[in-house]
Amino acid sequence: MLTSGPIVVMQVPEILNVKEVHNFMEELGPLLESNRPRVVLDCSQVRSMESAGVEMLLRCLEEVLKRDGDLKLAALSPEAEVILELMRVARVFETFQTCEDAVRSFNAIPADAVPQETPWYTNVFNELGVLKQAS
Amino acid sequence: MVGAIIIGDETAALEDTQSPSCAGSCRRPWATVEVLGKAPIARLAESLRTELCDAVSVIVNDPQDGQEVRTPHPSVADLAAARFAEYKGDGFDTVLVARCGAYVELDAAEMLSFHGEQGSIITRAFAGDGPLDLWMVDASALPCTPLMSALLCTRPAVYRSKGYVNRLRNARDFRQLVLDSFSSRCRLRPQGSEIKPRIWNCDGAQIDRSARVVAPAFIGRNVHISGECLITRGSNVESNSRVEFGTAVEDSSILSDSYVGIGLELSHSIVDGHNLLNLRHNVSLEITDPVVMRKNTVRGGDRQSLNGESRQMALSSTE
Repeated sequence: MLTSGPIVVMQVPEILNVKEVHNFMEELGPLLESNRPRVVLDCSQVRSMESAGVEMLLRCLEEVLKRDGDLKLAALSPEAEVILELMRVARVFETFQTCEDAVRSFNAIPADAVPQETPWYTNVFNELGVLKQAS
Repeated sequence: MVGAIIIGDETAALEDTQSPSCAGSCRRPWATVEVLGKAPIARLAESLRTELCDAVSVIVNDPQDGQEVRTPHPSVADLAAARFAEYKGDGFDTVLVARCGAYVELDAAEMLSFHGEQGSIITRAFAGDGPLDLWMVDASALPCTPLMSALLCTRPAVYRSKGYVNRLRNARDFRQLVLDSFSSRCRLRPQGSEIKPRIWNCDGAQIDRSARVVAPAFIGRNVHISGECLITRGSNVESNSRVEFGTAVEDSSILSDSYVGIGLELSHSIVDGHNLLNLRHNVSLEITDPVVMRKNTVRGGDRQSLNGESRQMALSSTE
């Protein structure tokens, strides 16, 4: 049976250099090792991010995907957005305007998984009708 | 005789506080920043020298090597006043004073004849959207000090300039000037030679065979564009800069002496050393990671001398 824990929301520090990455990973690392980790990183405070910070985000994403979980970025500051675009990783992450939106997205059933117009049994009834006429 | 004093001070570029107005951390006025091979202030000096003036003096705060060497504004004004006095002493009849904040395509000869017709002590140039910091002055009639207040307080004759004007108030204006030049909306022509339609290349520029430069684009003096790079959509890379392997530069300006690292995607931006201005997000960033962006300390000349050395080595090995 697949189980998943709570959704973890964490604030990314203002400056994401090598030292801050180390401190941040000490906190976040154990959470990534759970079963199907679901993580939202609040990037609203980010003012500066070195390549070590971008590398850390990619490593975290890799870890959660390995464990069948997901990592989403929320409330990106313009600075964070510019750096992620510059480093060509902006499209790798799923991003949301707010943390609430990101959390909600974990619980949402994808729209394309649910038939929107005709119920699944419509085709069965149609086929039955054709069979009846034929007999 | 006609003389000219061009003042390039930072106060001329600080009118718009809404967006980043000056290049880099040392807050250079945009008019003193190299654009398509030469700074607008140098272009103005050159055009005045060739078209009208017998002598041209440029007074500018020029911070060297990123240090904040600032001549306080009164000193710049004092220098201008001193130069004005020298012109007077040397018997110059008319002096054109330009406080260079904007890029202006001025018909100086027409302004001079208008000034003569008006018989006014001072004639000030105006564009469609207001006054320009350009005055034509009767040297004998105006006191030398304080020059700027004398210019601003005296009621001038109004000369309407019909030429192209870019106020260069902020980074957006700077980018607009680049694009206007590429599309021939102004007379500012890129330096160097046009190697393909609307692609300009200056002396010492090295573009790797696998790099792609899409018109319109400008590659400045001693610039190095590495393999698999893409320079596109009206981008300009100014002198002594280096763009590393696989980086895409789109609708951006890389100012002189800048290093842009490997595999980046630079769009709608201006890079000045380790400073990055993104115009789409209106964000100014200081990149602290030298692998990503920094001031380029390897000069084109150094590279040339290295190349010279290696060529010599190759020659000696074949001898």
